Amino acid sequence: MNRVVVTGIGVVSPIGSSRDAFWSALVEARSGIGPIEGIPTDLFTTRIAAQVRDFDPSRHFDSKRLALLDRFAQFAVVAARAAVADAQLELTEEMALQAAAIVGNATGGQNSVDDGYYKVYWQKSPRLHPLIIPRLMSNAAVSQVSMDLGIKGPTFTIASACSSGTHAIGQAFQMVRTGQVPIALTGGTEACLTVGTIKCWEALRVLSADTCRPFSKTRSGLVLGEGAAMFVLETREHAMARGAPIYAELLGFGMSADADDITAINPDGAARAMRSALTDAKVNPEDVDYVNAHGTGTALNDKGETAALRIAFGASAEHLAVSSSKGVLGHSLGAAGALEFAATALALHHQTMPPTANFEERDPDCDLDYVPNTARNAPIQNAMSSSFAFGGLNAVLVLGRA
Amino acid sequence: MEVTDDVRSIIAQSLKIPVERLTPDTRLDELGAESLDVIEIVFGLEEKFDISIPFKADEGTRVTISGEEMEFSTVSDVANIVQRLLAAKAKTKASG
Repeated sequence: MNRVVVTGIGVVSPIGSSRDAFWSALVEARSGIGPIEGIPTDLFTTRIAAQVRDFDPSRHFDSKRLALLDRFAQFAVVAARAAVADAQLELTEEMALQAAAIVGNATGGQNSVDDGYYKVYWQKSPRLHPLIIPRLMSNAAVSQVSMDLGIKGPTFTIASACSSGTHAIGQAFQMVRTGQVPIALTGGTEACLTVGTIKCWEALRVLSADTCRPFSKTRSGLVLGEGAAMFVLETREHAMARGAPIYAELLGFGMSADADDITAINPDGAARAMRSALTDAKVNPEDVDYVNAHGTGTALNDKGETAALRIAFGASAEHLAVSSSKGVLGHSLGAAGALEFAATALALHHQTMPPTANFEERDPDCDLDYVPNTARNAPIQNAMSSSFAFGGLNAVLVLGRA
Repeated sequence: MEVTDDVRSIIAQSLKIPVERLTPDTRLDELGAESLDVIEIVFGLEEKFDISIPFKADEGTRVTISGEEMEFSTVSDVANIVQRLLAAKAKTKASG
């Protein structure tokens, strides 16, 4: 079995689209949540989101290429290019033939769907752009990454709602670990902030009207976000041989399904995924220093996730530092696990725990150490990144210090 | 009473229980209503009466209507909220 390391990180996020801007906003708990811009909000009762601002696609793509790229594919390609550059990786023809590209995504090309359906239903347009299908299909992002970088090995999308990014990284990890592929581009992408999607989320009655306050008693729900994070995963041997920078080592991956409620987290199911990831990583619960939580800022998640951490970690939960990045990043569904994996890898790299932003008041049902509001410099040997999706699909990764 | 009857039947239908089980003091959580059941009830009421109930899952059993916090626990709480919103709607129509 190969040892697998993270050598490249690329992000497009509400708090900036460079690795350093992303990390400094996370550490300073500077939230990317704000008033929704660029789409009509008159139909909404919730008018905030964590949007990717200052993203000019024409800086990255010519007009002919852009005609094929929904926003979620633009994000993925820009993040993938950044990850490859960050890894100082030259993709040779031989490597590209074998390399994998695996991208998590929950909702496909929602901007293309929304614009297209508006034209049909409202404007009664007799025709749509000929490339709308290749833009909106949920594999469009990963296909565009493959075309952009010339990756010709195993390439596909993983769709498991809010766990998509984590499932994708876990799958890529297993393929590099077993030697099926020498290198993988993996991560998650989402661009779901359209009128149609936001109205659908409003119907679930879980959106906050002000901001996202994970694990805080004063929480008021989740805030939608968007973005992408992509990574270069390769064997430790390969990375060392070429003198690549190593952010963290991927140690284990655990998955489970609740087979229970369609929306509510099941603490036993979530805990089984955590335990399975720890077993796979051969890491004892007491040797985990930091958990980057799913932490959506809904009462159901935060209380259920706290219970799950207690089940999985037992007595060592008392010494565990847990933070959620969603007060800063919002919840970007299929990209969330990937952006949070970036946060976790960077936490190991910088030996700093990013805080839970917007934390106001302790909740008696959430009684762990949530690293409230202020980052913490503390030794991190092993860390965990968790995602728990609607539909009861859980995915957990365990990382170690490089 | 008509509004209360409609409210009772929407709740009963949604929870698949006989309407006779619902007294004004019956609490939705006693009936085993989970969060998805509650938002389906809210949706059913909104569709039936053409109103918007500002219910949020994270605000527990409170609903804030024109700055006033109202309880959303029992059958009569729900009926009160619906009546309040219907009165506000009628007023808007009359003045508009």
